[in-house]
Amino acid sequence: MNRVGIVGAGITECRSRWVEATYWKLFQMAVRAALEDAKMTAAELDAVVYGIYNDMFEHMAIPESALTGWISMGLKPGVRVTNGGATGFYAMRAAYMEVASGLSDIVLCVGGEKATDCFDPQSGTPTPAVVGVIAQSWDPFYEYPLGATASDSYMGKCMAYNDAYPGDIGDGLVRAQMIEMLCRQGNRNPFGQRRKETVTAEQVLASRWIIAPFLRLLEACMYTEGAGALIFANEQKTLEICQRTGRQPIWVKGVGAANEPYAVGRGSDNLMELPRIKSDHLAAYRAYEMAGVQPSDIQIVEVHDAFVAQLMITMGELGFVLMGKTRALIDDGVMADIQKLGDEGRPEPGQVLINPSGGLIFGGHFVGGSNMFSTWSAIREMRRRQVPLSLVHGTGAINAAYGGAMILELGEEVRA
Amino acid sequence: MSQNQTVIPQEFNLPAGVRPVTGLDGIPCLELATQMTTLYWQTYGEQSRFFQALIEGRLIGAKCPQCQMVLVPPMTWNCPDCGFTDMEEVVLPHHGLLAATAPITIFPPAGQHGNAPYARGYVDVAVDVAKASFLPARLITTTGLPRPGIFVKGVKLKLVFKDEREGRITDIFWVPWDEIPEGLRDIEPLLASQLQFEDPKPPVIKRPFEEVFTAVRDLAVKAVRSPRAVENLKAVGTRRIGVWVGGGEFTLSIQNGCLEVKRVSDPGVDFVIQADDPNVFLKWANGGSLSDPAAEGSLWLPNTEAFGILPALDRVPRSVRRDEGEGKLSPES
Ligand SMILES: [Zn+2]
Repeated sequence: MNRVGIVGAGITECRSRWVEATYWKLFQMAVRAALEDAKMTAAELDAVVYGIYNDMFEHMAIPESALTGWISMGLKPGVRVTNGGATGFYAMRAAYMEVASGLSDIVLCVGGEKATDCFDPQSGTPTPAVVGVIAQSWDPFYEYPLGATASDSYMGKCMAYNDAYPGDIGDGLVRAQMIEMLCRQGNRNPFGQRRKETVTAEQVLASRWIIAPFLRLLEACMYTEGAGALIFANEQKTLEICQRTGRQPIWVKGVGAANEPYAVGRGSDNLMELPRIKSDHLAAYRAYEMAGVQPSDIQIVEVHDAFVAQLMITMGELGFVLMGKTRALIDDGVMADIQKLGDEGRPEPGQVLINPSGGLIFGGHFVGGSNMFSTWSAIREMRRRQVPLSLVHGTGAINAAYGGAMILELGEEVRA
Repeated sequence: MSQNQTVIPQEFNLPAGVRPVTGLDGIPCLELATQMTTLYWQTYGEQSRFFQALIEGRLIGAKCPQCQMVLVPPMTWNCPDCGFTDMEEVVLPHHGLLAATAPITIFPPAGQHGNAPYARGYVDVAVDVAKASFLPARLITTTGLPRPGIFVKGVKLKLVFKDEREGRITDIFWVPWDEIPEGLRDIEPLLASQLQFEDPKPPVIKRPFEEVFTAVRDLAVKAVRSPRAVENLKAVGTRRIGVWVGGGEFTLSIQNGCLEVKRVSDPGVDFVIQADDPNVFLKWANGGSLSDPAAEGSLWLPNTEAFGILPALDRVPRSVRRDEGEGKLSPES
């Protein structure tokens, strides 16, 4: 396979609702930002991959068809990827594959979501409608009629994890301390949805339960409207563009993915095992193997944190802390403190900077492009801190069935 | 088919129109009332047999003749582990084990209005075979609303059928086996009308006051010996807190990082905190938290001052446990 770099990254501001823009405009804003970042024009792009999770949010079947011209990709190949919460990651994987295979030299990967135009007339607010649309991710025969939601399915995973590994994720104070740290990180993100908010551990513990005992209101990700774009290029084009921009290249060193099956059970690979998030584990370890690295080599991660308890489990599944002992993130200081690192500091040995963007809880979560948002942040932090490796993670679908991981490497500066 | 009921509730609609809207940028925009709805007569297809059996009061699954895997519900009748070999119908028992502790949804999505709180879990029905799927299940208790502690991993459950069934997963639900009167446990199908769901009896407080008091006093004795707990308590300063619980009263005195528990209620306390259920304090003494019951409403606090010291008190039993685990408790005096 050909070596692949990421030469440009751009995101929109994350907002709870963009009244001023449709998703057409949001995607265009992200593409424009990525092209400016790479000092390129759209004419240099060979093809596009769109990450759009759900037609009902965009209120248009084949939603990408409207984008083709408005993002200046007329008469070029384009493919849309939709993989639940992991849509962004899978779109990135598709763009990576297209370049790695040699089929295209430079591929645009753009994802986003317009989620909160939805409206629930009974409550007079968008939220139950948004939750309701996501609940359509379940089958109409068994799970949907029982009232499955994104929250209760991820919490089902957390409960099962807690059954298997008691005394780990159940300490609300540990989770609240993580939230406080994520909040401070989100404050540094100029595009972050909650960049002006201050949330303390005490406020987290005082916020109302969504699902006891692992999810309070202030432990959940947001619904965000926004878009993010990345530009993937082959080795030659990457070096050319990095010469142009005068920046160190970012190489894709490893890509791994795994999807768990829909039905829950035991004893078969075609049934989902509840207490684990196996998709996360397999995806990450496949990416490590391809990259030839260990978790201990990686000091910046942008993990898909739908909920803090799930973030803890995912950090265990990714191998940064032991399963059943993920509270070491706080207890043993594995989670680096941004107050100590500042804008340019490198994490201490044994420490990991987790979600410097503020993650999906404070930064933003525009589903089809959240993982592009994470990648944008990972690149930014690698460059400013001169940290050689980072990991971007995506998860999604019912019971966190889909998992993906991409490992990025900061390359040597390119000389003319 | 249901009479007088529609798939989309009548009130779930919007008046048609366009209206002005202004967002963060302050630019006047417009928004359109619209919809993206499809109605379906969705075929159950190969799933039909399962629902036909439910109507008859039976629970069936699909069993693979080669690998013996049982799927319930039979989401497929062709084994994915054995080259899609045809699976056979198997009749399943009307009881099972909860495969994992079930979440309870308080804030339902559109479409579940009025149903919350509800518990959804996975029931392991074909417990005798090595490979089996779990049945997605609505979990119901005869003791009131679903709440944490009832639907925990491994609890035995009885399948209950609604009296009137039309072929939906909500035609059935599962109730803790212990709540089913003995004479009804072997009935298959057991009907909802045979159980008593009205006027649930409130739970009996299991632990008497003495046991709770002893646990809190033991915690205090250890806290004095725990360097971490002493640090936690120093943050509280000097406080005397009255604790009134169902069954009795005691006083928590905090001074110089030292916690003392007195049996009597002290008239000179700074404030009184209150809980009907003394178990709130038993759980705290055993490593739980006081913030949680405060947020859940089972611990009553008079003011923000009381709320403000809870995080420090929460840390005390955890600190004791950590210091004890690391052998850092100072010797008993
Ligand atoms: Zn088989």
